[in-house]
Amino acid sequence: MDTQEAVAESTHVETTGQSDSKRDGQKKFTLGPNDSLEGKLTYDGHMTVDGGRAEGEFRIGGNIEIGNGSVVKALLEGSNVTIKGEVEGKLTARDKLTLGKAAKLNGDVQVRRLQIEDGATLNGYVRMGDFEQQAGS
Amino acid sequence: MSSRPVARRPTPPPADEPPKESSPPQSQPSLVQLGPRDRLIGQLYIEGDIRLGGVIEGEIEATGDVEIDDLAKVKASVAGRDVSIRGHVNGAVVARKRLVVARSGSLIGDVRVQRLVIQDGASFSGKVSMGAAAAEAPTKPIESKPVAPEPEVQAVVEAPAPIVAAPIIAPPATDGKGKAAVPPKAAAPKAPPPKAPAPKAPQQRGKPKRR
Repeated sequence: MDTQEAVAESTHVETTGQSDSKRDGQKKFTLGPNDSLEGKLTYDGHMTVDGGRAEGEFRIGGNIEIGNGSVVKALLEGSNVTIKGEVEGKLTARDKLTLGKAAKLNGDVQVRRLQIEDGATLNGYVRMGDFEQQAGS
Repeated sequence: MSSRPVARRPTPPPADEPPKESSPPQSQPSLVQLGPRDRLIGQLYIEGDIRLGGVIEGEIEATGDVEIDDLAKVKASVAGRDVSIRGHVNGAVVARKRLVVARSGSLIGDVRVQRLVIQDGASFSGKVSMGAAAAEAPTKPIESKPVAPEPEVQAVVEAPAPIVAAPIIAPPATDGKGKAAVPPKAAAPKAPPPKAPAPKAPQQRGKPKRR
C-alpha cells in the first residue's frame, strides 16, 4: 500500500542524516544539524528537519517538523506542519500548522487549522478553511 | 499607562457617537462595555479599555485593551493595545502589543501586530504583518469611512452651496437668504454665472449620447 517514493531530482542533494526508520508504519526522513538538502523532494512519510538546512520544494505525505535552529527556504506541503525554526516560503498544511514560540515564518500560508504560540513571528497571508486541492499546481 | 496616551489617530468625535465616550479626567482611563444585546454602528474611540459583545459595525479604537466576547459579531476595524478575540470579527485589526484569537474566535481581515497568538480551533484568514515592520508603519490599513451616515449628509450640504452661490451674484435679492458674506468680487472671477451652468449642460447631454 505504501507507494512511497523519495524522489530527489535536482541540482544537488547531500544528505547524510537520512534514516528510514519505520514508525507507525510510516517512513521518516530526518535532517540532522550538519545535514543539508537542496532540491525537490516528494515523500510519503514524515519529514523532520532537526537543526539542518533545507532549500527547495518538499511535498510530504505525512507530517513536517522543523525543529529549533533549522533554516528552511522552501515550498512546503504536508499534513501536520510544526515549525520551531525559521521558514521562508509558501506553506500548505492539509491539516494543521503549528508555530512554536521561537518560530519565524515568512510566506503565505494555507491551512485547515492554525495554532500560533506567543513569541512566534509570522509575516504573510493566511488562508484557512476547506481545502481545494489547488496546491498540486 | 495612566498618562494620556498619544493616540495615533484620535478620531474626531462624531456628533452621533460620543455618549459612550464621556472622557473622564485623564488620570482614570475609561472602561467601556457593550453587552451581547447592545449594538454599535459607527466610530468608537476610547481612552481606556473596551469590552464588546453584540453587534458592532464601523471602527473601534482604544488606547487600552480590546476584548471581543464570544457572542460578539464585529464588522469593523479594531485597534488597541492588547486585543483578544473570542467572537466573530470581520475587519482589520491592529494590536500595538498582542493579538489573541481564542479557540472560539474567528477573524477575517488583515492584521498588524507586535505579537500574535492563535489558539487551536480558532479561525483566521488574512494578511499578517508582524514585528518591526508592523511597529514602523502604524498607519491604519483601513482608512475608509465607516457606515456612519455623516459623510453623506455633509456632501448634500456642500453640494447645493456653490450652486446657490453662483446665481446669487446675478440677483442680489437672494443674497440675504444665503451666506451674505459672499463677496461678489471673489465669486465673479472664479465662476461667472453664465459660464458655470453652460459647460455643465453639454457634459450631461454628452454622457447619455455615448451610452
